[in-house]
Amino acid sequence: MLDHLGTNQLYCSPSSGEGLITESLSIPASQITATRPNCPLESVQCIPQLTICKAPSQHTRKKPQFQTEGRLLRIRSLLSIYYLAPRIVHISPGSSTLVTHRPFSQSKSDRSSGRQVVSPKIRLRTKFMVICVCGAAVMGLWFYVHLEKEQQQKMRRQEQLKKLALGQGDFNLLDHTGRSRTKKDFSGQWVLLYFGFTHCPDICPDELDKISSVVQILDKERALSPVQPIFITVDPERDGVEEMARYIKDFHSRMVGLTGTAEQIKDLGKAFRVYYSVGPKDEDNDYIVDHTIIIYLLNPDGLFTDYYNRNKSDQEIAESIRSHMKTYVNLFN
Amino acid sequence: MTAPTAQERKTCWGARDRYWQCLDESNKDSSECRKLRTVFEGSCPQQWINYFDKRRDYLKYKEKMQREGFQPPENVTKL
Repeated sequence: MLDHLGTNQLYCSPSSGEGLITESLSIPASQITATRPNCPLESVQCIPQLTICKAPSQHTRKKPQFQTEGRLLRIRSLLSIYYLAPRIVHISPGSSTLVTHRPFSQSKSDRSSGRQVVSPKIRLRTKFMVICVCGAAVMGLWFYVHLEKEQQQKMRRQEQLKKLALGQGDFNLLDHTGRSRTKKDFSGQWVLLYFGFTHCPDICPDELDKISSVVQILDKERALSPVQPIFITVDPERDGVEEMARYIKDFHSRMVGLTGTAEQIKDLGKAFRVYYSVGPKDEDNDYIVDHTIIIYLLNPDGLFTDYYNRNKSDQEIAESIRSHMKTYVNLFN
Repeated sequence: MTAPTAQERKTCWGARDRYWQCLDESNKDSSECRKLRTVFEGSCPQQWINYFDKRRDYLKYKEKMQREGFQPPENVTKL
Protein backbone atom coordinates (compact mmCIF):
# COMPACT_ATOMS: atom_id res chain seq x y z
CA MET A 1 0.00 0.00 0.00
CA LEU A 2 1.24 3.42 -0.82
CA ASP A 3 0.94 6.49 1.26
CA HIS A 4 0.60 10.05 0.14
CA LEU A 5 4.21 10.25 -0.94
CA GLY A 6 3.85 7.20 -2.92
CA THR A 7 6.01 5.21 -0.66
CA ASN A 8 5.28 1.99 0.88
CA GLN A 9 5.57 1.92 4.51
CA LEU A 10 5.43 -0.77 6.95
CA TYR A 11 5.01 -0.11 10.52
CA CYS A 12 6.79 -1.83 13.30
CA SER A 13 4.50 -3.54 15.60
CA PRO A 14 5.83 -3.01 19.01
CA SER A 15 5.98 -6.33 20.63
CA SER A 16 7.48 -5.34 23.88
CA GLY A 17 5.38 -2.31 24.55
CA GLU A 18 8.21 0.20 24.21
CA GLY A 19 7.94 2.91 21.76
CA LEU A 20 9.82 1.86 18.72
CA ILE A 21 11.10 4.28 16.23
CA THR A 22 10.59 3.49 12.71
CA GLU A 23 12.86 4.64 10.04
CA SER A 24 11.99 4.02 6.57
CA LEU A 25 14.06 4.21 3.56
CA SER A 26 11.77 5.92 1.17
CA ILE A 27 12.29 5.55 -2.46
CA PRO A 28 10.19 7.66 -4.77
CA ALA A 29 7.62 5.65 -6.56
CA SER A 30 8.95 6.67 -9.98
CA GLN A 31 12.09 4.74 -9.33
CA ILE A 32 10.33 1.70 -8.27
CA THR A 33 9.63 -0.85 -10.77
CA ALA A 34 7.71 -3.89 -10.06
CA THR A 35 10.17 -6.04 -11.69
CA ARG A 36 13.72 -5.13 -12.30
CA PRO A 37 15.62 -7.54 -14.46
CA ASN A 38 19.24 -8.31 -13.67
CA CYS A 39 18.99 -6.82 -10.35
CA PRO A 40 21.71 -8.14 -8.11
CA LEU A 41 20.60 -9.19 -4.74
CA GLU A 42 23.05 -6.93 -2.98
CA SER A 43 21.69 -3.83 -4.47
CA VAL A 44 19.74 -1.89 -1.97
CA GLN A 45 17.65 -0.11 -4.50
CA CYS A 46 15.85 -3.21 -5.54
CA ILE A 47 14.08 -3.31 -2.30
CA PRO A 48 11.25 -0.84 -2.45
CA GLN A 49 11.12 0.07 1.09
CA LEU A 50 12.77 -0.89 4.15
CA THR A 51 11.52 -0.29 7.56
CA ILE A 52 14.03 -0.47 10.27
CA CYS A 53 12.69 -1.08 13.67
CA LYS A 54 15.18 0.13 16.19
CA ALA A 55 15.12 0.28 19.91
CA PRO A 56 15.23 3.91 21.17
CA SER A 57 18.87 3.69 22.22
CA GLN A 58 20.02 3.00 18.78
CA HIS A 59 18.11 5.72 17.07
CA THR A 60 21.05 8.08 16.84
CA ARG A 61 22.41 6.25 13.90
CA LYS A 62 21.67 8.27 10.87
CA LYS A 63 22.39 5.92 8.11
CA PRO A 64 20.27 2.89 7.63
CA GLN A 65 21.96 -0.03 9.21
CA PHE A 66 21.61 -2.26 6.25
CA GLN A 67 23.48 0.02 3.93
CA THR A 68 26.41 0.43 6.22
CA GLU A 69 26.27 -3.21 6.96
CA GLY A 70 26.44 -3.99 3.30
CA ARG A 71 29.43 -1.74 2.88
CA LEU A 72 31.06 -3.20 5.92
CA LEU A 73 30.45 -6.67 4.65
CA ARG A 74 32.05 -5.80 1.36
CA ILE A 75 35.06 -4.25 3.07
CA ARG A 76 35.29 -7.12 5.45
CA SER A 77 35.21 -9.66 2.70
CA LEU A 78 37.93 -7.84 0.83
CA LEU A 79 40.08 -7.60 3.93
CA SER A 80 39.54 -11.20 4.78
CA ILE A 81 40.69 -12.24 1.38
CA TYR A 82 43.76 -10.10 1.66
CA TYR A 83 44.78 -11.06 5.16
CA LEU A 84 43.53 -14.52 5.51
CA ALA A 85 44.88 -15.71 2.20
CA PRO A 86 48.47 -16.13 3.39
CA ARG A 87 47.19 -18.34 6.12
CA ILE A 88 45.76 -20.72 3.67
CA VAL A 89 48.45 -23.30 3.62
CA HIS A 90 48.58 -26.67 2.18
CA ILE A 91 51.43 -29.12 2.19
CA SER A 92 52.09 -30.31 -1.29
CA PRO A 93 52.64 -34.01 -1.43
CA GLY A 94 56.18 -35.18 -1.66
CA SER A 95 57.74 -31.93 -0.56
CA SER A 96 59.01 -30.95 2.81
CA THR A 97 58.25 -27.23 2.65
CA LEU A 98 55.05 -25.48 3.51
CA VAL A 99 53.41 -23.90 0.53
CA THR A 100 51.12 -20.91 1.05
CA HIS A 101 48.44 -20.09 -1.41
CA ARG A 102 47.38 -16.50 -2.03
CA PRO A 103 44.38 -16.48 -4.30
CA PHE A 104 44.55 -12.75 -5.06
CA SER A 105 48.27 -12.34 -4.94
CA GLN A 106 49.72 -9.87 -7.42
CA SER A 107 53.22 -11.24 -7.96
CA LYS A 108 53.56 -13.61 -10.82
CA SER A 109 56.58 -15.38 -9.43
CA ASP A 110 54.64 -16.47 -6.40
CA ARG A 111 51.98 -17.88 -8.52
CA SER A 112 54.35 -19.65 -10.82
CA SER A 113 56.68 -21.13 -8.21
CA GLY A 114 54.06 -21.64 -5.58
CA ARG A 115 56.70 -21.42 -2.81
CA GLN A 116 56.78 -19.03 0.01
CA VAL A 117 59.43 -19.50 2.71
CA VAL A 118 59.11 -16.28 4.70
CA SER A 119 57.36 -17.69 7.75
CA PRO A 120 59.48 -20.85 8.24
CA LYS A 121 62.67 -18.72 8.03
CA ILE A 122 61.47 -16.44 10.79
CA ARG A 123 60.41 -19.37 12.91
CA LEU A 124 63.81 -21.02 12.52
CA ARG A 125 65.61 -17.91 13.66
CA THR A 126 63.40 -17.52 16.69
CA LYS A 127 63.87 -21.20 17.49
CA PHE A 128 67.62 -20.75 17.31
CA MET A 129 67.52 -17.68 19.50
CA VAL A 130 65.30 -19.36 22.03
CA ILE A 131 67.71 -22.30 22.20
CA CYS A 132 70.65 -19.93 22.67
CA VAL A 133 68.92 -18.05 25.45
CA CYS A 134 67.93 -21.26 27.20
CA GLY A 135 71.46 -22.62 26.87
CA ALA A 136 72.93 -19.43 28.27
CA ALA A 137 70.48 -19.52 31.16
CA VAL A 138 71.40 -23.13 31.97
CA MET A 139 75.11 -22.34 31.84
CA GLY A 140 74.61 -19.30 34.01
CA LEU A 141 72.71 -21.34 36.56
CA TRP A 142 75.36 -24.06 36.60
CA PHE A 143 78.10 -21.48 37.05
CA TYR A 144 76.24 -19.82 39.92
CA VAL A 145 75.72 -23.17 41.65
CA HIS A 146 79.40 -23.99 41.15
CA LEU A 147 80.47 -20.70 42.73
CA GLU A 148 78.11 -21.21 45.66
CA LYS A 149 79.53 -24.68 46.24
CA GLU A 150 83.09 -23.35 46.22
CA GLN A 151 82.14 -20.65 48.65
CA GLN A 152 80.55 -23.18 50.99
CA GLN A 153 83.60 -25.41 50.85
CA LYS A 154 85.84 -22.49 51.70
CA MET A 155 83.69 -21.53 54.68
CA ARG A 156 83.61 -25.12 55.92
CA ARG A 157 87.40 -25.39 55.71
CA GLN A 158 87.84 -22.16 57.58
CA GLU A 159 85.52 -23.34 60.33
CA GLN A 160 87.49 -26.56 60.68
CA LEU A 161 90.81 -24.74 60.89
CA LYS A 162 89.42 -22.33 63.45
CA LYS A 163 88.30 -25.27 65.54
CA LEU A 164 91.85 -26.62 65.52
CA ALA A 165 92.87 -23.36 67.19
CA LEU A 166 96.56 -23.82 66.59
CA GLY A 167 99.06 -21.48 68.10
CA GLN A 168 97.15 -20.71 71.24
CA GLY A 169 99.06 -19.22 74.05
CA ASP A 170 101.75 -16.61 74.07
CA PHE A 171 105.44 -16.88 73.31
CA ASN A 172 108.41 -14.84 74.41
CA LEU A 173 111.32 -15.23 72.07
CA LEU A 174 114.35 -13.31 70.95
CA ASP A 175 114.42 -11.90 67.47
CA HIS A 176 117.51 -11.71 65.30
CA THR A 177 118.41 -8.32 66.76
CA GLY A 178 118.32 -9.68 70.27
CA ARG A 179 115.06 -7.97 71.15
CA SER A 180 112.45 -9.85 73.08
CA ARG A 181 109.20 -10.45 71.20
CA THR A 182 105.81 -11.73 72.24
CA LYS A 183 102.73 -12.59 70.26
CA LYS A 184 101.20 -9.21 71.06
CA ASP A 185 103.94 -7.45 69.13
CA PHE A 186 102.56 -8.92 65.96
CA SER A 187 98.87 -8.39 66.59
CA GLY A 188 97.25 -6.14 64.02
CA GLN A 189 99.35 -7.73 61.28
CA TRP A 190 98.94 -10.74 59.07
CA VAL A 191 101.77 -13.15 59.84
CA LEU A 192 103.40 -15.86 57.73
CA LEU A 193 105.17 -18.27 60.02
CA TYR A 194 107.75 -20.87 59.04
CA PHE A 195 109.62 -23.33 61.25
CA GLY A 196 113.06 -24.37 60.06
CA PHE A 197 116.74 -24.27 60.86
CA THR A 198 119.78 -22.57 59.37
CA HIS A 199 121.67 -25.75 58.51
CA CYS A 200 118.86 -26.89 56.28
CA PRO A 201 120.19 -28.29 52.94
CA ASP A 202 117.59 -27.06 50.48
CA ILE A 203 114.01 -27.06 51.74
CA CYS A 204 114.15 -24.15 54.19
CA PRO A 205 115.86 -21.77 51.76
CA ASP A 206 113.31 -22.70 49.10
CA GLU A 207 110.37 -22.10 51.41
CA LEU A 208 111.79 -18.84 52.75
CA ASP A 209 112.37 -17.67 49.17
CA LYS A 210 108.76 -18.52 48.45
CA ILE A 211 107.57 -16.55 51.49
CA SER A 212 109.69 -13.56 50.43
CA SER A 213 108.15 -13.75 46.98
CA VAL A 214 104.63 -13.90 48.42
CA VAL A 215 105.28 -10.85 50.60
CA GLN A 216 106.70 -9.00 47.61
CA ILE A 217 103.63 -9.80 45.52
CA LEU A 218 101.33 -8.55 48.25
CA ASP A 219 103.47 -5.48 48.93
CA LYS A 220 102.77 -4.32 45.39
CA GLU A 221 99.11 -3.87 46.26
CA ARG A 222 98.89 -0.75 48.32
CA ALA A 223 95.37 -1.40 49.48
CA LEU A 224 96.46 -4.44 51.48
CA SER A 225 98.16 -4.22 54.84
CA PRO A 226 101.77 -5.46 54.87
CA VAL A 227 102.33 -9.11 55.73
CA GLN A 228 104.93 -9.98 58.35
CA PRO A 229 107.13 -13.02 57.60
CA ILE A 230 108.57 -14.81 60.61
CA PHE A 231 111.14 -17.58 60.67
CA ILE A 232 111.35 -19.62 63.86
CA THR A 233 114.13 -22.09 64.40
CA VAL A 234 113.58 -25.67 65.48
CA ASP A 235 117.28 -25.97 66.19
CA PRO A 236 117.80 -23.60 69.15
CA GLU A 237 121.01 -25.38 70.07
CA ARG A 238 122.86 -24.07 67.06
CA ASP A 239 120.72 -21.18 65.89
CA GLY A 240 121.25 -18.28 68.23
CA VAL A 241 120.61 -14.62 67.56
CA GLU A 242 123.69 -14.12 65.38
CA GLU A 243 123.11 -17.19 63.29
CA MET A 244 119.53 -16.12 62.70
CA ALA A 245 120.62 -12.62 61.70
CA ARG A 246 123.15 -14.00 59.25
CA TYR A 247 120.67 -16.42 57.80
CA ILE A 248 117.65 -14.22 57.21
CA LYS A 249 119.45 -11.35 55.59
CA ASP A 250 119.37 -13.34 52.37
CA PHE A 251 115.59 -13.14 52.36
CA HIS A 252 112.95 -10.41 52.62
CA SER A 253 114.03 -7.28 54.49
CA ARG A 254 111.02 -7.38 56.79
CA MET A 255 111.61 -10.99 57.82
CA VAL A 256 112.03 -11.54 61.52
CA GLY A 257 113.92 -14.52 62.92
CA LEU A 258 112.96 -15.85 66.31
CA THR A 259 114.91 -18.09 68.59
CA GLY A 260 114.88 -19.01 72.24
CA THR A 261 115.65 -21.76 74.68
CA ALA A 262 114.97 -25.37 73.90
CA GLU A 263 112.07 -25.32 76.34
CA GLN A 264 110.43 -22.31 74.74
CA ILE A 265 110.79 -23.78 71.26
CA LYS A 266 109.35 -27.05 72.48
CA ASP A 267 106.26 -25.30 73.88
CA LEU A 268 105.79 -23.32 70.72
CA GLY A 269 106.17 -26.44 68.62
CA LYS A 270 103.46 -28.14 70.67
CA ALA A 271 101.13 -25.19 70.25
CA PHE A 272 101.53 -25.25 66.49
CA ARG A 273 101.75 -29.04 66.28
CA VAL A 274 105.07 -28.77 64.53
CA TYR A 275 106.96 -32.03 64.36
CA TYR A 276 110.73 -31.77 64.61
CA SER A 277 113.36 -34.33 65.41
CA VAL A 278 117.11 -33.98 65.57
CA GLY A 279 118.90 -36.46 63.31
CA PRO A 280 122.05 -38.48 64.06
CA LYS A 281 125.16 -36.42 64.67
CA ASP A 282 128.28 -37.14 62.66
CA GLU A 283 131.91 -36.64 63.61
CA ASP A 284 131.67 -32.90 63.00
CA ASN A 285 128.70 -32.77 65.31
CA ASP A 286 126.68 -31.79 62.32
CA TYR A 287 123.14 -33.02 62.02
CA ILE A 288 119.96 -32.43 60.11
CA VAL A 289 116.68 -31.72 61.84
CA ASP A 290 113.70 -33.46 60.35
CA HIS A 291 110.62 -31.22 60.59
CA THR A 292 107.21 -30.50 59.10
CA ILE A 293 107.38 -28.22 56.10
CA ILE A 294 104.43 -25.92 56.54
CA ILE A 295 103.85 -22.18 56.26
CA TYR A 296 101.28 -20.90 58.74
CA LEU A 297 99.06 -17.88 58.25
CA LEU A 298 97.95 -15.95 61.34
CA ASN A 299 95.36 -13.20 61.15
CA PRO A 300 95.71 -9.79 62.87
CA ASP A 301 94.10 -11.25 66.00
CA GLY A 302 96.89 -13.80 66.21
CA LEU A 303 94.57 -16.64 65.32
CA PHE A 304 95.60 -19.46 63.05
CA THR A 305 93.78 -19.02 59.76
CA ASP A 306 95.35 -21.21 57.11
CA TYR A 307 98.40 -23.27 56.19
CA TYR A 308 100.36 -23.94 52.98
CA ASN A 309 102.54 -26.90 52.12
CA ARG A 310 105.35 -27.36 49.61
CA ASN A 311 103.01 -27.84 46.68
CA LYS A 312 101.54 -24.36 46.84
CA SER A 313 103.21 -21.80 44.62
CA ASP A 314 103.82 -18.21 45.67
CA GLN A 315 100.97 -17.00 43.45
CA GLU A 316 98.53 -19.44 45.01
CA ILE A 317 99.53 -18.46 48.52
CA ALA A 318 99.24 -14.75 47.69
CA GLU A 319 95.78 -15.34 46.24
CA SER A 320 94.70 -17.24 49.34
CA ILE A 321 95.96 -14.51 51.66
CA ARG A 322 94.15 -11.90 49.61
CA SER A 323 90.87 -13.73 49.98
CA HIS A 324 91.40 -14.20 53.72
CA MET A 325 92.07 -10.50 54.08
CA LYS A 326 88.86 -9.73 52.27
CA THR A 327 86.86 -12.07 54.48
CA TYR A 328 88.47 -10.68 57.58
CA VAL A 329 87.60 -7.12 56.67
CA ASN A 330 84.04 -8.11 55.94
CA LEU A 331 83.38 -10.03 59.12
CA PHE A 332 85.13 -8.16 61.84
CA ASN A 333 85.33 -4.53 60.81
CA MET B 1 130.42 -24.87 62.72
CA THR B 2 128.45 -22.13 61.06
CA ALA B 3 125.78 -22.72 58.53
CA PRO B 4 126.62 -22.23 54.86
CA THR B 5 125.91 -18.80 53.45
CA ALA B 6 123.67 -18.21 50.46
CA GLN B 7 126.62 -18.30 48.11
CA GLU B 8 127.94 -21.53 49.55
CA ARG B 9 124.51 -23.05 49.24
CA LYS B 10 124.35 -22.11 45.58
CA THR B 11 127.76 -23.59 44.88
CA CYS B 12 126.77 -26.82 46.59
CA TRP B 13 123.51 -27.08 44.68
CA GLY B 14 125.25 -26.41 41.37
CA ALA B 15 127.79 -29.17 42.00
CA ARG B 16 125.04 -31.54 43.04
CA ASP B 17 123.03 -30.80 39.90
CA ARG B 18 126.01 -31.39 37.64
CA TYR B 19 126.81 -34.63 39.39
CA TRP B 20 123.24 -35.85 39.11
CA GLN B 21 123.12 -34.88 35.48
CA CYS B 22 126.21 -36.92 34.80
CA LEU B 23 124.68 -39.92 36.56
CA ASP B 24 121.51 -39.59 34.51
CA GLU B 25 123.33 -39.36 31.21
CA SER B 26 126.04 -41.95 31.53
CA ASN B 27 127.10 -44.98 33.48
CA LYS B 28 127.56 -44.55 37.20
CA ASP B 29 131.17 -45.65 37.28
CA SER B 30 132.54 -43.35 34.59
CA SER B 31 135.52 -41.24 35.48
CA GLU B 32 133.68 -38.08 34.54
CA CYS B 33 131.09 -38.69 37.18
CA ARG B 34 133.71 -39.60 39.74
CA LYS B 35 135.38 -36.25 39.18
CA LEU B 36 132.12 -34.43 39.64
CA ARG B 37 131.49 -36.42 42.78
CA THR B 38 134.75 -35.15 44.22
CA VAL B 39 133.78 -31.56 43.40
CA PHE B 40 130.39 -32.15 44.94
CA GLU B 41 131.89 -33.53 48.11
CA GLY B 42 134.17 -30.54 48.35
CA SER B 43 131.41 -27.94 48.08
CA CYS B 44 128.92 -29.31 50.56
CA PRO B 45 128.97 -30.27 54.22
CA GLN B 46 129.02 -34.00 54.87
CA GLN B 47 125.52 -34.04 56.31
CA TRP B 48 124.23 -32.49 53.14
CA ILE B 49 125.97 -35.05 50.98
CA ASN B 50 124.37 -37.88 52.92
CA TYR B 51 121.03 -36.10 52.68
CA PHE B 52 121.33 -35.52 48.94
CA ASP B 53 122.37 -39.11 48.32
CA LYS B 54 119.33 -40.36 50.17
CA ARG B 55 117.21 -37.89 48.28
CA ARG B 56 118.50 -39.14 44.97
CA ASP B 57 117.76 -42.74 45.90
CA TYR B 58 114.27 -41.71 46.87
CA LEU B 59 113.70 -39.81 43.62
CA LYS B 60 114.90 -42.77 41.55
CA TYR B 61 112.66 -45.14 43.49
CA LYS B 62 109.70 -42.87 43.02
CA GLU B 63 110.39 -42.70 39.28
CA LYS B 64 110.56 -46.47 39.12
CA MET B 65 107.25 -46.80 40.98
CA GLN B 66 105.59 -44.39 38.63
CA ARG B 67 106.94 -46.25 35.62
CA GLU B 68 106.50 -49.86 36.62
CA GLY B 69 104.07 -49.88 39.49
CA PHE B 70 104.51 -51.53 42.83
CA GLN B 71 105.74 -55.13 42.94
CA PRO B 72 105.90 -56.76 46.35
CA PRO B 73 109.01 -58.82 47.07
CA GLU B 74 108.66 -62.52 46.44
CA ASN B 75 109.24 -64.29 49.71
CA VAL B 76 106.85 -62.25 51.78
CA THR B 77 104.30 -64.41 53.53
CA LYS B 78 100.79 -63.11 53.69
CA LEU B 79 99.32 -62.62 57.10
